[in-house]
Amino acid sequence: MRPLVSRLRASAWLGLQIESNWTDPFLFTAYAITHPLATALILAGMYWAVGGTAQGADTFRGLYLGSAFHNYVVMVLAGMGWMIVEEREEFETLKYVYTSPIGMFNYLAGRSLVKLALATLSTVLTLAVGWFLVGLRWDWGAVHWLPLVAALGLGVVATVSLGFFVAGFALVMPRAAFTLNDGIAVALYLLCGVIFPVDLLPRVLQWVALALPFTWWYEALRRFLLGHGSSTLLNAWSEGALMGWLFATTLVFSVAAHLAYLALERRARQLGRLDQTTLF
Amino acid sequence: MSTVALNLRATWGRTYGRLVGSFREPTWLITDAILPNLGMLAFVMLYRALGAPRSFETLAVVGGLLATYWINVLWGMGAQFYWEKQSGQLQLYFVAPCSRMAILSGMALGGFLLTTARSAFGLFLGFVVVGVRVEPFSLPALLGVFALTMIALYALGMVMASLFLLWGREAYHLSNALYQPVQFLSGLYFPLKTLGPLGIVSAGLVPLGLGVDALRQVLLGAGAHALMPLRFEVALLVGLCAFFLWLARVALAHLESLAKREGRLTQRWQ
Repeated sequence: MRPLVSRLRASAWLGLQIESNWTDPFLFTAYAITHPLATALILAGMYWAVGGTAQGADTFRGLYLGSAFHNYVVMVLAGMGWMIVEEREEFETLKYVYTSPIGMFNYLAGRSLVKLALATLSTVLTLAVGWFLVGLRWDWGAVHWLPLVAALGLGVVATVSLGFFVAGFALVMPRAAFTLNDGIAVALYLLCGVIFPVDLLPRVLQWVALALPFTWWYEALRRFLLGHGSSTLLNAWSEGALMGWLFATTLVFSVAAHLAYLALERRARQLGRLDQTTLF
Repeated sequence: MSTVALNLRATWGRTYGRLVGSFREPTWLITDAILPNLGMLAFVMLYRALGAPRSFETLAVVGGLLATYWINVLWGMGAQFYWEKQSGQLQLYFVAPCSRMAILSGMALGGFLLTTARSAFGLFLGFVVVGVRVEPFSLPALLGVFALTMIALYALGMVMASLFLLWGREAYHLSNALYQPVQFLSGLYFPLKTLGPLGIVSAGLVPLGLGVDALRQVLLGAGAHALMPLRFEVALLVGLCAFFLWLARVALAHLESLAKREGRLTQRWQ
């Protein structure tokens, strides 16, 4: 256990240096939260713009909450794919990481801890923007803390697991990884009811949405924190059923993503793509 | 060969390289054309979920179309010198006998043409899939405002490109950090007027906001919820075009000289 912790800590420290040593800590923190804060402000701007004419303030707040937690997907999931691109294409150090005693899997896991920390900071700040600028409020006494924490944990597991899957694809497809990383985050933004209810999706895509853990995750967070969901379709499920589906989809995704990553890493080695640079 | 002819040929040469290079990497089509427009689609659906008037959906579509140009300015213009520096090609631009502005103009023209071709996907999403509609409008006015917006925007991209002569990762991260905040400050997905005095300040700094506001006025009339009358916005855009072109010229000359003195012009991984 101790060697594993030591490896994770070493790779997390290295990840922090790679991401932040171009500037001082204050500027780096400001840089790291710029994107999620601006996204939150765009949503706030849209809400202010239609505030006088549109219906459904509660719906908006629920959707805003989904957008806040989507920071995890953008920063961790897409970020794990970008780690591969940076290490292989930009710094040309992927082969050294691969041959080091830490190993690729532990290295990616360690670096994802930094991404998780930054995503947590961004989510908290996004929620603060929501609290002060768009009237996002919840009754602290009515929050379902235990299921909320459980849902948050499951969502993080699903995000990191899918991050490994994205990283595996990035190993096998050097050029296309550039596009794939952000593409998956945007696809999940559209499919999982982040800023509009899944009810508005075509029927076929609704089924796809229900197969993804993130759809259940965002809805569970809304239910346990705000006391209401944002989708008529998902309202049919009780809170227990919601958690059950979140657990089941997360479990399936995590096991599948882990196996897929290992297979993709092997494939990348067979194809000689671990040190194949294509951009610079 | 005269200097003018030389620079025109350099501009065309860089335009050609950009067009051909992009066709050789079709996956960039997804990054440049499809992804930003999918983001726009999400914002349109949010307006629909909120029961907002249909004109707001059109506002978001127009903003989403301009977002593809903003991405091209940031990554295809601003950060291009970073990629060139990393691949060891930047010095070739400096030993060439033509003006740097001619090379940057070629990059801008090529990027603009490509992005315009790719924005067809956004038009399809907006007008066919989502079904937004516009008021009857004047085509010359639309093209005129669009041209001014693009000149000002790509001139800003030239200014940003000059930063990469001296800096590396700092400027790269600046480009990355500017992407989303500028979308907010330009009111790409909501009327700029919503931001009040902040909207007026940002309109004076970044041409994207003024341009999108002016284009919406041409397409939607009163439904655009405009920041100021169209003629004022056009006058400001003309001013921004002149200012950013001048600034790009000055910044390129100054930063090139500084980068040479400090030995950082061709320094990779800085």
